[in-house]
Parts: sequence; C-alpha cells; structure tokens
Amino acid sequence: MAALDAEFKIRRGLSYWWDGYTRMVRWEFIDIRGIAVFAIVIQLVIGALFVLGVGLFFDDIPLRSAQYLTTGSFVVCLITVAMVAAPQIIAAQKMSQQYEYRWSLPVPRSAATLAWFTVALAIGLPGALVALVVGAIRYGVTYDVSAMIVPAVFAGLLTAGLIGYAMAHTLKPMVAQLTATALLFVVLGFAPINFPPENLPGWLATLNLWLPFYPMAVVVRSALLPGEAGNVAQSYLVLGAWAIGCGAAVIWAIGRRK
Amino acid sequence: MAATGVTLRTASTRSGPGYWVAGYVSMLRFDWARMRQWLVMFLAIQLLMGAGMSVMYGFFLPVIPDVVALYITTGVPTLALIPVGFVIVPQTIAQQRLEGSYEFLWSLPVPKIIVAASTFTLLTVLALPGVVIALLVGVWRYGVTLDVQPSIVPALVLTALMAASVGYAMGHAISNPQLTNMVTNLVVFFVLLFSPIAFPPSRFPQWLQTVNAWLPFEHMAAVVRASLAPHLVPGGVASDYLIVTAWTVGGWLVATWVVRRRR
Repeated sequence: MAALDAEFKIRRGLSYWWDGYTRMVRWEFIDIRGIAVFAIVIQLVIGALFVLGVGLFFDDIPLRSAQYLTTGSFVVCLITVAMVAAPQIIAAQKMSQQYEYRWSLPVPRSAATLAWFTVALAIGLPGALVALVVGAIRYGVTYDVSAMIVPAVFAGLLTAGLIGYAMAHTLKPMVAQLTATALLFVVLGFAPINFPPENLPGWLATLNLWLPFYPMAVVVRSALLPGEAGNVAQSYLVLGAWAIGCGAAVIWAIGRRK
Repeated sequence: MAATGVTLRTASTRSGPGYWVAGYVSMLRFDWARMRQWLVMFLAIQLLMGAGMSVMYGFFLPVIPDVVALYITTGVPTLALIPVGFVIVPQTIAQQRLEGSYEFLWSLPVPKIIVAASTFTLLTVLALPGVVIALLVGVWRYGVTLDVQPSIVPALVLTALMAASVGYAMGHAISNPQLTNMVTNLVVFFVLLFSPIAFPPSRFPQWLQTVNAWLPFEHMAAVVRASLAPHLVPGGVASDYLIVTAWTVGGWLVATWVVRRRR
C-alpha cells in the first residue's frame, strides 16, 4: 500500500503538470515530425506570397491597406494552425482511432491541450514573422512593437485554439473538416483582418465586432502599429467571452465519460 | 446453335459507331449516377470560388472604379470554372485510386476514349449552371452592365472543356493521390492571387506576365471576357482561343498517353 500511496502522491501538483506538458510537447512534435518541416515551409511561403499577391490587386497600394494586409497576414498565419488545421488533424485522429488512445495517456488533459497550442504556435510563428518582414520590405510598412504584443498573441492564439478545439471535439469528423475550411474562407475574405473594416458593408462590419476573428486582429494590430487603437478593451472582452464559451464546450467534450 | 449466334452477334457489335454511341450513352448514365450525390457540393464550391471571391476582391479595395468592377465581374465565370476542371476532376480520380475503383472503371467494356469523353461532356455541362449563377451574383454585387455576345456559348464551352481536359490529364498522370491534392491546392492559390483573371495583366511584374502568357488561366479569362465586355479586350482574342485550344488538345494527348500505357 505504501508504494501505491507514493505513486498516487506524485500524480498531481505543478511539477507533475509541467512534466506532462513537456512530454506532450515532445510527443506532438514527434507525431508530426514527418510533416513539421513541410508545414513550416508552407506557412512561410503562404505568409510571404499572400502579402505579395494581394498587393497585385492594387494599382498603387495605400499605406493603410498595406498596414492592414501585413499585420493581418501575421494574424492569419498565427491562428490558422490552431483554428483550421487542428479540427482537420483531430478529425483524422478520430477516423484512425488514435483519438481515444491519446486521452488514455497519463497526463492531465489541460497539459495535453496546452502542449498542442504550443506546437501550433511554433509552426505558425515563422510564417507570421515573414509576413511582417515582407510587408516592411515591399510596402515600407513600419512597426512600433509594444509589450502588449505578448498578451495579444496569447489571447488571439488561445481563443483561436479553443475555437478549433471546440469544433474538433464536439463535431463529427466530416462536419469539422468542412466547417474548418469554411472558417478559413471567412477569416481571409469576410472578416476585416487583411483590410480595414470600412471596406465592408456596415452590417457585416458590425457583425464582425462580435465574431472572434476581427478582435484577434485588433488586439494584435494595436500592439504592432503606431496610433492604431481601435476598440482594444472591447476586443479583449469579446475574445475572453469566446474563449470561455469554447473552453466550456471543450471541457464538457473531453471531460465526459462515454 | 442459339448460343453461338449470341456470341457472334455480341462480337460483331463490339466495334463501329453504333457500339461507340451505345458505350457513350451508358458511360454518361454511369458517370451521372456516380456524380449526382456531389452536385450540391459542386455548386457550393463554384459559388464560393466564383461569387465568393469576386465579393472578397471588392473588400480588399477601398475604392472600386467602374472598370475594376467590370474586370472583376467578367472574371467571375472563369473563377467558377477553374475549381471544377482543376480541382474536382483530378481529386475525383485521386479518390478513385484510393478507394480502388480506378482499375474497375478501365475494365468496363467500352473503349477507353469513350470513358474520357463521357467525363468531359458531363463535367463541362455540370460546370455551366454554377458559372451562370456566380456571374449573376457578381453583376448584382457590382451593378455593372454587361454587353453579352453570342460568342459566350463557345467561349464557356471551350474553357470548361479545356479545364476538364487538363484536370483529367493531371488526375491520370499523377499517380500519388496526396501529390494530386497538393498540386490542386497550389493551382487554386496561384489562380486566386497570381493570375490576371479579375485584374488586368498590366498590374503584374514582367516575369509574372511572361509566366501567365504560357499558362491557360489568363487566356481562359480573356476568351470569356471578350464575350461579356468586348471593349476590355481591344486586341481581340484569336490568340487566346488558340492557346486555350492547344491546352485542351494537350490535355487529351497526355491523358491518351497515360491511359493507353499498360502496366
């Protein structure tokens, strides 16, 4: 009994959580090892080419459009892995029956979840940074990075990750995959991330204030561009609400017994 | 001797135009039955990439001059055609390889050329309603007036046929389904951002203009645009028709070569 008690004792607390987290980060990286480099390269190329390609829509791109395009691409690169790739990866895990196995691993589920977000950040960040660099070189956009970039990226990524996770864990695999693709379309073209909100019809701009995508761009942009305030406080609140809502759905979905 | 009679009759009907027509009709029915379940998704993708993209392009621009709106609207039909030929056709073939029905199709007792012809016919016809709806959405969104020419019919049929033919060749020539998937995604990315379909080619750097001059997308757009707003294509589109035709024939040649190879 003594041995059992001892074992029982170490299976909690911060160090146990941290240990599970680092192990799961390694696990996730090894799991995608085969495509990790490829995925990062694709993100780099898309980050750079999107910023360059959209510029071709214009005869002469105005500075405001260029600022929105480059910082918007930063946001898109950052969140697509967590929000769009995750539902697809998890759908594949469900179809290949790995899904149940993963939850049987002896690590806290919160540690496993955050480990995946860490990996998503590592894959998305290089492409996001390249978008900023390309924007600076091609369009002469200058940045004024404030310390708020850390909470902004954290809030954006966490909300995006929880949205992706909520979709992945509550929806059927096929539905999750289709929803994720449709979401990418909305993010790229119907949310004022890569272009200023005044380009949208009024009702769509208003709707976007309450959807999570535009607020992600607002908080990140306010930490990257000088004099770009927007409704930062409101945006954090909207993100928080979405994060809590999706978080609750995730907790319900991954915590329930079947 | 009745049995022999039957054998002889079957053997003698398996050639000649009658056999071909019968095979063609059967294959059309066969393909239609397989594709029917995808019709809604088919239309959704066309609307997303045609009408959806045309609306999206407009959001990126703070001000949309009339000529740009006309360019975008007349590019919509081409944008709605491309996913059918260059994405759905090769991915359907990749799907057949994954599920093992690819070999089965070639075992059907019809000439291989008929199997291909039936696919071309069906996809060309099925692509057209989506194109028209996407175009109407574009016209409604930008309020432009089109000057529709009778040449719209051959223009749409030829471009749809070309897209289906090249997609067909791609699907058969690339034997790894995952690679097919990647190539089709690349094509979409390239078409949406780096092909002068919704924009005049003069926006592009010289080298990219040269690349596009050899690819089919710009010429598809020119052919269609000439029959919707002729004044946007003052130089005429004879050479564009020629290049689109060349890509069509090229698609057929590659497909024929791949399909005739025995393994």
